[in-house]
Amino acid sequence: MLASGAILTGLGVGLSAVSGEVFRVKEHKPLPIPAKHQGDQQAEVESLRGAIAHVSDDLKRLAEKAGETSAEIFEALEMILQDESLFDAALTEIDSGWEAGTAFVNAVETFAELLSGDSTFEERLADIRDLAKRVAAHIHGISLGLNLPEEGRYVIVGQDFSPADTAQFTKAVVGVITIQGGPTSHTAIICRSKAIPAVVSCATAEQLVDGVQVLVDPVGDRVVVEGKESDATAAISFVAKSNDPIIPVRANIGSLEDSIAAATTAAEGVGLFRTELLYLQSTTRPSKEKQIASYTEILKAAPEGPIVVRTIDAGSDKPVPFLEMPKEENPALGVRGFRLVVPHREFIVDQLQSLEQARKDSGREVWVMAPMVALASEAAQFAEIARKAGNFKVGIMVETPSIIYEIPNLKGVVDFISVGTNDLSQYLFASDRLHPSLGSLLNPWQPALIRALGEIAKECKAVSIYSGVCGESASDPAFAVVLAGMGFDSVSSSRSQVGAVRTALSSLDKGQAQEIYKAVAKAKTADEAKSIALAKLSLLAG
Amino acid sequence: MATISATVTIEDPIGFHARPAGQIVKLVKDSGLEIRMGRVGENLVKANSPLSLMALKGKTGEQLTVEVDTDDQAQAQQIFDSIQQFLKG
Repeated sequence: MLASGAILTGLGVGLSAVSGEVFRVKEHKPLPIPAKHQGDQQAEVESLRGAIAHVSDDLKRLAEKAGETSAEIFEALEMILQDESLFDAALTEIDSGWEAGTAFVNAVETFAELLSGDSTFEERLADIRDLAKRVAAHIHGISLGLNLPEEGRYVIVGQDFSPADTAQFTKAVVGVITIQGGPTSHTAIICRSKAIPAVVSCATAEQLVDGVQVLVDPVGDRVVVEGKESDATAAISFVAKSNDPIIPVRANIGSLEDSIAAATTAAEGVGLFRTELLYLQSTTRPSKEKQIASYTEILKAAPEGPIVVRTIDAGSDKPVPFLEMPKEENPALGVRGFRLVVPHREFIVDQLQSLEQARKDSGREVWVMAPMVALASEAAQFAEIARKAGNFKVGIMVETPSIIYEIPNLKGVVDFISVGTNDLSQYLFASDRLHPSLGSLLNPWQPALIRALGEIAKECKAVSIYSGVCGESASDPAFAVVLAGMGFDSVSSSRSQVGAVRTALSSLDKGQAQEIYKAVAKAKTADEAKSIALAKLSLLAG
Repeated sequence: MATISATVTIEDPIGFHARPAGQIVKLVKDSGLEIRMGRVGENLVKANSPLSLMALKGKTGEQLTVEVDTDDQAQAQQIFDSIQQFLKG
């Protein structure tokens, strides 16, 4: 049992603290092994019918909650679940003695075998098998959902949360603690965008039990047992001293909805428009007309200022259904990002030509950049394609360690670079950015990352290339100040953080930011680097 | 009751996948008729089962037979037209 006042350290996500009651998310129990029934066939049939109806209701609810594209998927799945031939096959299995859950799993497997080996159905197969699992789980009274309370104020505690989990967060979830998972985990990204205070990578949270009151104190990178909101570490309250930040703060977007929402913030343009999010559900290649229409809409809605568009960033871990992506042993190091230019050059050309038309139709200033570039010669190849396609400023993402050493060779080749700190950390520290137990290596305050970033800013200045940062780290106001001190020309933040980052960058002048960076650069650990920055900033704010 | 049949062609560039299968099943259920489909010259499956339709693994360019149990020629024609439309992707 943890004593009142006990402090559990982790990595904070967000700027405000919250207190609530601990709700431990249960680990899923494994499904029972295949078994025969007790002889009451009718009871098995009824139990199967009930479970199918229950899962079908769940799918209907998910379809209602989901956006239009995902709703179509849930509807298709529901139709498959209600498939009469499937039900008949399950009845045959019950006839041969299998209990309802096993019978349904077997029936699905019969169809799955018929469908396997066809790339069109690979993804559907996983979905269909998942349906069978859900039906069997319901029959055996096992819960696969998080079963979160709908009312009250809860801090949910779990190992880490998947996209399927975070989609179930209710309004009663006021705070989140993960035992594993780092600052670039899915949980961290979702909590930041939904403004839910969170502490991730908090190993000692393993000892928290249901019902305990805790304070989630992200600014203090800690959880306090029985802590009150008045115990929270105060975020430095930056006081804007001028109307304009020392460098522009842009917003990150991925959809029309994001673009509209970003326009309500004080963002100066868009620093990262992730185009692949438009296509993760497309089974057919979008026509140019379709692309032009959606880009034009998004460009028109975007906040005033330039819009930096990243060409498709997909890989075998983030597949786009209409591009063929063979399975890879190690997708993070495989054919992804701009490397798709070899198998899918025409799609990248199509995308750039569509963007050019959308640029003309919207009358906006568009910059284009390629993700996952490892060589200056690749940057040159992209620049050639992009300049031929349209009238853009052309750049690349800096995410691979190799391209840092080639910045001098980018002179005259590209107009700008933008650092993706999430992937740069992953490749620099050889740590999977979604790995549940490597969170501390991905802390943006790691001295090695700070040095690498400082080097990038300096090298870019030397060859007159505009430099920006669009990773998660640029959403942290204190870190954004350090980035400005290094000499970056702009930052791009998650839209919920644009205001906070802007205020921080309006609270001091460039000289002060440079001094903070110089002090931080001397730190020997991530914790030390962050403490130095916060201490200096508090002095300024005080 | 008469059985009226026709031939349709899979024109969808990715073949006969989950989406058209779902659209056809919905059409079949709404019509309340028994409708069967399959490769020309092969066994037909009931078109009220998305899994059976997907298991045909129809490829772009292949022809499928559609059979409708009805006496209403006009209704059958409408069903053939809709199915052909779904198979265009």
